Amino acid sequence: MNPDQDPRHDEDRPSGAAGCPVCLAPVLDGDTYCEACGHALGSPVCTSCGAAAVDAEGYCERCGLRQPTGRDHAETVLDGGAAAVTDRGLRRSRNEDAMALLAAGDTIVTVVCDGVGSSPRADEASAAAVEAAGAALARGLPHREAFGLAGRAVSKLATSVDDAPACTYVAAVAEPGRVRLAWAGDTRAYWLPRPRPGEKAQGVLLTEDDAVETGEITAWLGADAEDVEPHVRTLAPEEPGTLLVCSDGLWRYLDGYAFPGTGTPLELARELLRQALHSGGQDNVTIVVIPLGDSHE
Amino acid sequence: MSDQPTFTLTIDQNKYLPTDGREVHAILSIGSTGGAVTTQSVAAEAAEVIIIDTSGSMSGSKIREARQAAATAVQTLRDGVHFAVIAGTEKAVMVYPSGRTQLVRADPGTRKEAERAIGRLLAHGGTAMGEWLKLAGNLLTAHPSAIRHALLMTDGQNNERAEVFGSVLSAWSGTFVCDCLGVGDDWVPAELRRVAEAMLGTFDFVRNQGDLPEFFRRLTQTSMSKTVAELSLRVWVPQTATLKFVKQVSPTLLDLTGKRTDVNPLTGDYPTGSWGAEEREYHLCVEVPPGHVGQEIRAGWVKLVRPDTQEVVASGNVLAQWTDDLAQSTHINRKVAHYTGQAELHELIQDGLSARAMGDVDTATARLAKARELATESGREDTARLLERVVEVDPATGTARLRRNVDKADEIELDTGSVRTSRLRKE
Repeated sequence: MNPDQDPRHDEDRPSGAAGCPVCLAPVLDGDTYCEACGHALGSPVCTSCGAAAVDAEGYCERCGLRQPTGRDHAETVLDGGAAAVTDRGLRRSRNEDAMALLAAGDTIVTVVCDGVGSSPRADEASAAAVEAAGAALARGLPHREAFGLAGRAVSKLATSVDDAPACTYVAAVAEPGRVRLAWAGDTRAYWLPRPRPGEKAQGVLLTEDDAVETGEITAWLGADAEDVEPHVRTLAPEEPGTLLVCSDGLWRYLDGYAFPGTGTPLELARELLRQALHSGGQDNVTIVVIPLGDSHE
Repeated sequence: MSDQPTFTLTIDQNKYLPTDGREVHAILSIGSTGGAVTTQSVAAEAAEVIIIDTSGSMSGSKIREARQAAATAVQTLRDGVHFAVIAGTEKAVMVYPSGRTQLVRADPGTRKEAERAIGRLLAHGGTAMGEWLKLAGNLLTAHPSAIRHALLMTDGQNNERAEVFGSVLSAWSGTFVCDCLGVGDDWVPAELRRVAEAMLGTFDFVRNQGDLPEFFRRLTQTSMSKTVAELSLRVWVPQTATLKFVKQVSPTLLDLTGKRTDVNPLTGDYPTGSWGAEEREYHLCVEVPPGHVGQEIRAGWVKLVRPDTQEVVASGNVLAQWTDDLAQSTHINRKVAHYTGQAELHELIQDGLSARAMGDVDTATARLAKARELATESGREDTARLLERVVEVDPATGTARLRRNVDKADEIELDTGSVRTSRLRKE
């Protein structure tokens, strides 16, 4: 994106004074389409060139730029301290990860989905999955049902098996004394036990990737996925600690990483994002940090 | 109507550009089911003009084969096709229907009459292809809703001034499709290539006169199997980008870059001629402004449009995304690489043959030897065999040498065939 140009310079101008943003032919007040080129007037404004010319596929019809979605960087913090951060990273044109972090009574629900890069509209897939599963889990539905609803929501986005948006999935439901996990693909959950004073926390991997050695995933949500069942796991931590749920944009940079032993969940999430970005930020990054036990007062 | 042809458009490219990358290449593969042309009631309206060179050089056995070929073409016309036969000398003369400048509907009676008229053709006079095409154009454009096609056969060189011929071609370009055939070894491939390029047709060398009827039958049949008279490739590029070229690369090379008609400042239409059930491929190159790592743009938006109805029958995106990952940006798409090589082979042959004609032995040897290597590598065995007859390469030392006595027909065949391309072999 070009920071030199004000992306909003056209927004408040009366349309009668401006030309068509695509072909520059004069257009009249109240016209819905440009008479010269047929461009739909009143389209969203391009973040780079400023033309009101962003089409339904998300490309600017004047400069061609694929528009970043509103998910480039977002943070969520719950009253109890649990925090989530999602970020586009440094090498992708948009953020195709999606996350939900919700409180339902004394239960905390989180869902993280990573849009499969080789599928179309992967950002819509992850958003649909997170919305469906997050709401279902917050209503108290079991993991398998929430996963099934997310799967159907993603499948519905496909126009055919050759045009099937897809995403990975990990969900956690944290209740007092118990954490229930479900996942498919290569999004992960870790347990970070509270470190002894002066020590750094060590992460314990709780999930098992559905992926072959070269990294290609073998399970995902989407119309082109075979009947996928989630892995499920329940743990009852005896000591206080922190649950970390994340996409591969973070965990690919965790090899040999020592987690900081202090700070709030949001501080930890931001610190982990910095670790991912400083290590290259190759992919979208999503991090959810949920303190468990009494470690967060 | 359920038998309307359907079109598919697939795009092969590597969208990743290095940080300083500006050029985006893509191969568009367009396939058509052609629709059903099984019964006459659903067949598309067709108009066909058969042009026979009857200049003095055609006398003897050649005019006999030409009569036979024209008669075969007429027999191949299905009932209801509008047609005419023209004799070409220094002027163009209506052979059938005689004395009337219009097409007639084919039926058993008119076909018989046309055959009789063709049987009386005599060879005498000069060669003015521009005149022939003008008459064909006048006849065909009276049928604006038909699939308009001409078949031109010649054995000699055009006697018209180059600029006269050129102005006829540019005036009639795009109004009908013309396929050309050259017979014998006194015609000039470059002239028929100009006709084929202007009229979006093919041109071919009939090496053995006896094959002429078969060539006529095949071209007429192909023309009658067309179901869509005209399709345009409508290409949009960003305001700050430049569309460097649009070329048909399969089945033959045909540069469409100069045939653009502007739709709006960012969009242009490129004619592709008529379509039956077939597959063609196009190579598109866009120069884009510099971008930032991670940024993705639509570098080209391609639509296949019926110009009569403005209906979009297929569309696709050519993308560009900048990356600092060299493994991604240095990868060259196999199809792009293949057709880049086929275009290079064509240029090497053309450059080599014209250098040879001008006596520049060094350039001719270098180009033709390199062409031979490329032809062998890319599975063009026929072309490699023809090149072998023009240039010899010592297998031990690799030293190349032009052969002294080259059959004129081999040279013409090499020249004519260089626009054909091989398909990419499946891995």
